[in-house]
Amino acid sequence: MRNDGLLFGIGYEDPILVGVICIGLLFGLAVLGVRISFAAAISGFVGLVELIGLWPGATTAGSIPYAKTSLYSLSVLPPFILIGFLAFHAGMTTSLFDAGRKWLGWLPGGLAVATVFAQAGFGAVSGASTATAAVFSRIAIPEMLEFKYSKRLAAGVVAAGGTLATLIPPSAILVIYALVVEESVGKLLLAGFLPGLFSAVIYGAIIVGWASIYPDIGPPVRGFTWGQRLRSVPGVLPIFVVAMIIITAVYGGWATVTEAGALGAFVVLLLAFVHGMRTKELKDALMETAKLTVMIFTLIWGIFIFVTFLNFSTVPQAFSTWIVELPVHPYLILLAILLGYTILGMFMDAIGMLMVTLPIFYPAVMALNGGPGATPETSPFGLTPEQASIWFGIIVVKMAEVCLITPPIGLNCFVVNGVQPQISLPDVFRGVAIFFVADVITIAGLIMFPEIATFLPDVLGVR
Amino acid sequence: MAVADDALGRVVVAGERLLRPVENTLNFIAAVAVLFLMMLGVVQVVMRIRWLFAAPIYGYIDMIELAMPILAVLGISYAQRHGTHIRMEILILQLKGRVLWVIETFGSLVTLILIVLLTRFAWVFFHDAYLSGDSTTDALLLTWPSKLLVPMALAILSVRLLIQTIAGLRLVIDPTREPIGVVVPHDVAEQAREEIREALGEEGPQ
Repeated sequence: MRNDGLLFGIGYEDPILVGVICIGLLFGLAVLGVRISFAAAISGFVGLVELIGLWPGATTAGSIPYAKTSLYSLSVLPPFILIGFLAFHAGMTTSLFDAGRKWLGWLPGGLAVATVFAQAGFGAVSGASTATAAVFSRIAIPEMLEFKYSKRLAAGVVAAGGTLATLIPPSAILVIYALVVEESVGKLLLAGFLPGLFSAVIYGAIIVGWASIYPDIGPPVRGFTWGQRLRSVPGVLPIFVVAMIIITAVYGGWATVTEAGALGAFVVLLLAFVHGMRTKELKDALMETAKLTVMIFTLIWGIFIFVTFLNFSTVPQAFSTWIVELPVHPYLILLAILLGYTILGMFMDAIGMLMVTLPIFYPAVMALNGGPGATPETSPFGLTPEQASIWFGIIVVKMAEVCLITPPIGLNCFVVNGVQPQISLPDVFRGVAIFFVADVITIAGLIMFPEIATFLPDVLGVR
Repeated sequence: MAVADDALGRVVVAGERLLRPVENTLNFIAAVAVLFLMMLGVVQVVMRIRWLFAAPIYGYIDMIELAMPILAVLGISYAQRHGTHIRMEILILQLKGRVLWVIETFGSLVTLILIVLLTRFAWVFFHDAYLSGDSTTDALLLTWPSKLLVPMALAILSVRLLIQTIAGLRLVIDPTREPIGVVVPHDVAEQAREEIREALGEEGPQ
């Protein structure tokens, strides 16, 4: 290994300084609008060349786009993304909302509660937050407005409920997290299920509470017979079939996650054809899937060039050591990290934010938990290393999603306003505020009760 | 496609005319591969059922791994053209005119340099596999054809970035010209409309 510091003349004299310079370079390029994947690859390339020399550094970087993408575990992403693009064509949204309305409409704010659970259900065939918000803006908002629901509640619930899709499997972002931290994809997917449901229940409870205090904003919708309720069930069965395929495959081991994803996508594809999807729409969905897939894979190899360099620079280890030695309680440090995510989330897309920060923050959180030898007794969080890794993943993904409903970006709010322009953007943001409170409660709940995230993977003993 | 009456503009238009069909075709191949991957998964599950066929596809995992670059890199230039690769837009959206295009062109140029270097060294990675006859562990399939896809796709991305750099320079020289061959930054409202179009398969309100 050479030590001449080819570019800055520092090299292995001070690898941490090289690390800090290249992290600065990454953020500098990112602020100037260079695509995150390329900004990371440039900084990683520069750093590798500086630390280990031109030829070894460049050939290492040159091997990564192939080596880090031709992995079987990653082949789960394309079918998951495809499911998301086909889900709307499969026409399950209307039947979900219809069932939700008949079963839950009698509650205060019942239609809004129905919307939340219909969106959670739709999350079982889609991992895309903004897409879920778009679809339900179309079908749920007109109905709520017809029953004299307040515009703000109607818009807020749809924008916020969209975020449920990312935790409930299939979730592309959890697959990416699993890959970056080298954790089992199956475990992360399963782990997202209860927190997604928990989050939906908190949303539901907040709506019921709010609509009980101010009955005008969301009057109950009564008068459905049990016969009508039961007849609404078959319409949502396909959703359960897809969800069960994915969950039982991961749990029972009768198929790998990739095969389950393929099977799920196949079922949704058949449903979409039954529902009258045209070949042109299938082609569009496939082209969009390919485009989004290549974006995610580019991000993966770009970040991995950077991560390979970071590991040579020893910055992650140094940061972990520093954090563990801080005379502050681990929970406070965790809160500080999460606050950092809230701020970063104002400027960056969820996937990009996770990928850029995890190489540094993840080892630090694992070290806080007591390192590789931690046991529930010795860990300040009461978790084994594996549990801690799953738990942290669920929390940061939830955090990243909160940014979809908060200013200045709040893409979901713009989506609702885009589909229903008669509800002004300020109204959407005001309506969503109460769900931000719900999200804070959810995250606090996840921090205090890690079992919500770790229970399913632990009990089902997934590999 | 837009028409340009200046020299640089004509270069950009000509480049676009050559590159677009190539990019579209490559992304279409990736799209077909998505469908193929899905079908292969379904077939694998069915064929493995013990009481039915008990005959899983030989070398299934190796095949998928070798096919991954089709999905992972072939469409990279198509995605670049559409501005799909994510980025921070907080600064870009505040800028207008010449300053905007100076920053954008700088971004294209540094990315171009990176991709040219990576093309070169991904080629080295392919070439080593080709010379040594490297193969997968289970089914002993040769890896070089799959590894060749990476420098190929990156070379096409280099051409795309070269066009974007030239197109950017053209706008640096005269920001009043019609932007062609560049990705015009979208604000959040426009991004939302894009998301809606993708999710609902059409534009705008009902």
